[in-house]
Amino acid sequence: MIDVAPESKKAKNLKGDFWDAKNIQISIGEIITEEKPQEEEVKGPKPRPHVTDLRSWDMKLLERYEPFYAPFCDMCCLCTYGKCELLGKKGACGIDAATQQARTVLLACLIGTAAHAGHARHLVEHLIERLGEDYKIDLGSNVDIEAPITRTVMGKRPSKLGDLREVLDYAEEQMSHLLSACHTGQEGDSKDFESKAFHAGLMDDLTREVADLAQIVALDLPKGDEDAPLVELGFGTIDTEKPVVLCIGHNVLPGADIVDYLDEQGMEDEVEVCGICCAAIDVTRYSEAAKVVGPLSKQLRFIRSGVADVIVVDEQCVRTDVLEEALKNRSAVIATTDKMCLGLPDLTGEDPDKIVNDLINGNIEGALILDPEKVGEVAVKTAMKLAPIRKSLKKLPDLDEIIRLASECTDCGWCQRVCPNSLPVMDAVKKAAEGDLSKLEEMAIEELCYTCGRCEQECERNIPIVSMVTKAGERRVKDEKYKIRAGRGPAQDVEIRRVGAPIVLGDIPGVVAFVGCSNYPEGGKDVALMAKEFLERNYIVVTTGCGAMSIGEYRDEDGQTLYEKYGGQFDARGLVNMGSCVSNAHVSGAAIKIANIFAQKPLEGNFEEIADYILNRVGACGVAWGAYSQKAAAIATGVNRWGIPVVLGPHGSKYRRLFLGRPDDEEKWKLNDLRTGEVIDGEPAPEHLLYAAENREEATVKIAKLCIRPTDTPKGRQMKLSNYIDLHRKYFGTIPDDIDRFIRTEKDIPIVYKRDVMKILEEKNWKPRKLPKEPSLLER
Amino acid sequence: MIVLNDRIIPWQPTVIAGPKQAILVTPETATMMIKKARRPLMVVGPLAKRQPVLEHVVKIIRHFDLPVVTTADTYRALSEAGIESEPRGIVEITNLLKDPSWEGVRGEGQHDLVIFIGCIYYIASQGLSTLKHFAPHIKTLTICRTFHSNADASFPNMDDDEWFRYLEKMYAE
Repeated sequence: MIDVAPESKKAKNLKGDFWDAKNIQISIGEIITEEKPQEEEVKGPKPRPHVTDLRSWDMKLLERYEPFYAPFCDMCCLCTYGKCELLGKKGACGIDAATQQARTVLLACLIGTAAHAGHARHLVEHLIERLGEDYKIDLGSNVDIEAPITRTVMGKRPSKLGDLREVLDYAEEQMSHLLSACHTGQEGDSKDFESKAFHAGLMDDLTREVADLAQIVALDLPKGDEDAPLVELGFGTIDTEKPVVLCIGHNVLPGADIVDYLDEQGMEDEVEVCGICCAAIDVTRYSEAAKVVGPLSKQLRFIRSGVADVIVVDEQCVRTDVLEEALKNRSAVIATTDKMCLGLPDLTGEDPDKIVNDLINGNIEGALILDPEKVGEVAVKTAMKLAPIRKSLKKLPDLDEIIRLASECTDCGWCQRVCPNSLPVMDAVKKAAEGDLSKLEEMAIEELCYTCGRCEQECERNIPIVSMVTKAGERRVKDEKYKIRAGRGPAQDVEIRRVGAPIVLGDIPGVVAFVGCSNYPEGGKDVALMAKEFLERNYIVVTTGCGAMSIGEYRDEDGQTLYEKYGGQFDARGLVNMGSCVSNAHVSGAAIKIANIFAQKPLEGNFEEIADYILNRVGACGVAWGAYSQKAAAIATGVNRWGIPVVLGPHGSKYRRLFLGRPDDEEKWKLNDLRTGEVIDGEPAPEHLLYAAENREEATVKIAKLCIRPTDTPKGRQMKLSNYIDLHRKYFGTIPDDIDRFIRTEKDIPIVYKRDVMKILEEKNWKPRKLPKEPSLLER
Repeated sequence: MIVLNDRIIPWQPTVIAGPKQAILVTPETATMMIKKARRPLMVVGPLAKRQPVLEHVVKIIRHFDLPVVTTADTYRALSEAGIESEPRGIVEITNLLKDPSWEGVRGEGQHDLVIFIGCIYYIASQGLSTLKHFAPHIKTLTICRTFHSNADASFPNMDDDEWFRYLEKMYAE
């Protein structure tokens, strides 16, 4: 007989004093006698860098990529000494034109950074209030490096929501110092202003990472899920028979609470929740049932259509005349953040039903409600009550009315002179007067017009051109049904392990990130066509924000959107929608993780080494084709400081500053080979850091070129050059004339083009040169 | 319809940058500027790819034997029309032009006059602003159908027919 212990009916208490008394702890697989020390964080050389701590790195970048200034204005209008004219002169304070441009750029970057930082602070504080500061930051088992930017800059990892406060405290402190440098009589050197703009961009990176990290963990958004769901996109996906709540802006909280309220009430199917701009992207990350109307450029068109019963605005990129426009259709407006109060009464403390009644009865024009939960309730209740009343208002002027309005046109032509893209607005209106709406329709369905409304402001007969464009496009609205992959958040560590080597060695020809706003020169199709081009060529295509939506609004020759055609994996031929503008942090984050996971570079406090690694070895290129805002300026500048080049559309020249390399100056491209200690001849790779292209064709060729890096293996270089040559031949008709600069040895020559390239090399008296083993701008 | 006063304010009126604006030139004056220049350069943008603008541009280039830079993807159109050019982005050529030590398209030294045609209005305006501020060694002339206030000299705003007559006059003699 075998004696066994009697079966216990009670689970053993492991929390009793017994264990404490023995001073031991239980762990799986081992008995330890004292608390296991946490993995020690390596403090790199520059944790929490102050304004000037990374100046030496900035100067290396600025030496190679000198700032190119294109002043908007010849004057400085900031202080009462002026106005001062700076054309060939200095201002009364001593500032010159270049320095003034740099100061303006720093101001723009700080505005953008403050927008993200303010947003992040709002999110973090609100989520801490809801969930507590100890709420764990956990991106699941596939993402160990949860905050690559924070780790690199702060020198430590955030493990709970409360830790994010420290990051924001630091960023806000730095922003305060940076802004103070813009005061009259402070910084007096353009390159130092640029160094400060880089620092502002880095703070922007940091705060974007904080914002997305907080919302991912606290709202349970996808955590690097390559199979994030395909969600609905487009005007035509909105069921106008239901009450419609539209969210505009960049803050997910009110939208999420609208979804929650509907869930709680069991009304998920009764109300349409949709969004424009980044709020749309983030709400669909929160709930697959929400819909994306489209990018920023849809804003006035959709408001004018009258479809939305309730318009909830939060912050950033919202039309400031949203209330005035909404009132025309009796849509109710709810403002939800301190950033945008719109002159509305603060009803945060008011009874929700009373607010609803006041909105319905027209006692108030709109409401400011700073509690997102209350926004959820008020928005839904208002939409439910308002929708039946507004049924007749969900229509635009009829076609006869458009023809009558168009016949008022006096042919002055100023509508097209003030149009940002010089669209033939007057011609379209004249055609409409003859009963032919095709030109107006083309402006709508081809997304040529982004409904800024400047034409209407200028029209001497007050012709509502945007409404006419909207109406003309309405016939096709029902067809505007697309799919977009919900924003997945960061790249997983395992994906980085898989692609790190191919990216650094050039086997994957590049990572191209299409991000940003919709100030496009020729409509959103341009972005989709560029994305398609690079997907077909085996690049990893990453996207966020309005750019992600524009890509979704295109169907290829098979009638599919690119999201349906390509998977969401961070790998060659993957179309990776990371999320909203704050998710851009994951683009730099992926590059940082390549340095850490693939190359074992320590992150903590080690900004310069990581940025140097990215600049010289990670073939990534950002594209902000329609960049318009100060946030986009801050994002691009932050990305640049990490060593990632960015291509802007032609409107990007109006940021007043670019960073251009000089391929003809060989001294600028010398590299330190850290392995051998030698200084060796380099190549213009990447050629520019911030570039504005004039059209899509030019941009496409430039993007391929900007993915070239000194560490490409001969095989990788062949692949990159094949793409560069192919695209150059496609759009320019020839092999590029600068190909010799990128051929280090004959092994780099793409086999298909060998004969033609050899001919060019002979003509240029080309000589082979050494491949660097460990290229760097830093000293050994 | 472009009335008299509208001819001499910028085509996109908000690009006015300050007190100094371009002088208005006729085709005759533009021709004289090119003849007087020692090292002129023609910069041709993508809006000049369509006919009949392209034909006028080709004739002007041949008439004055101008070295040419093509911006965006204009290179192909000009090449097919039998004109060799150097393809560069508009911001790249502007960047080179502001450097007094750049050797120029023909390697003979920095240019002293740059003639622009066919670049997208607002990016050209920004580039001209760069040259206005940071390239005092260069005169800029625009022969588009739109008035460019940031140039040193510009054709006025006009309609296509008048513009083609202007362009024709530049190579008619």
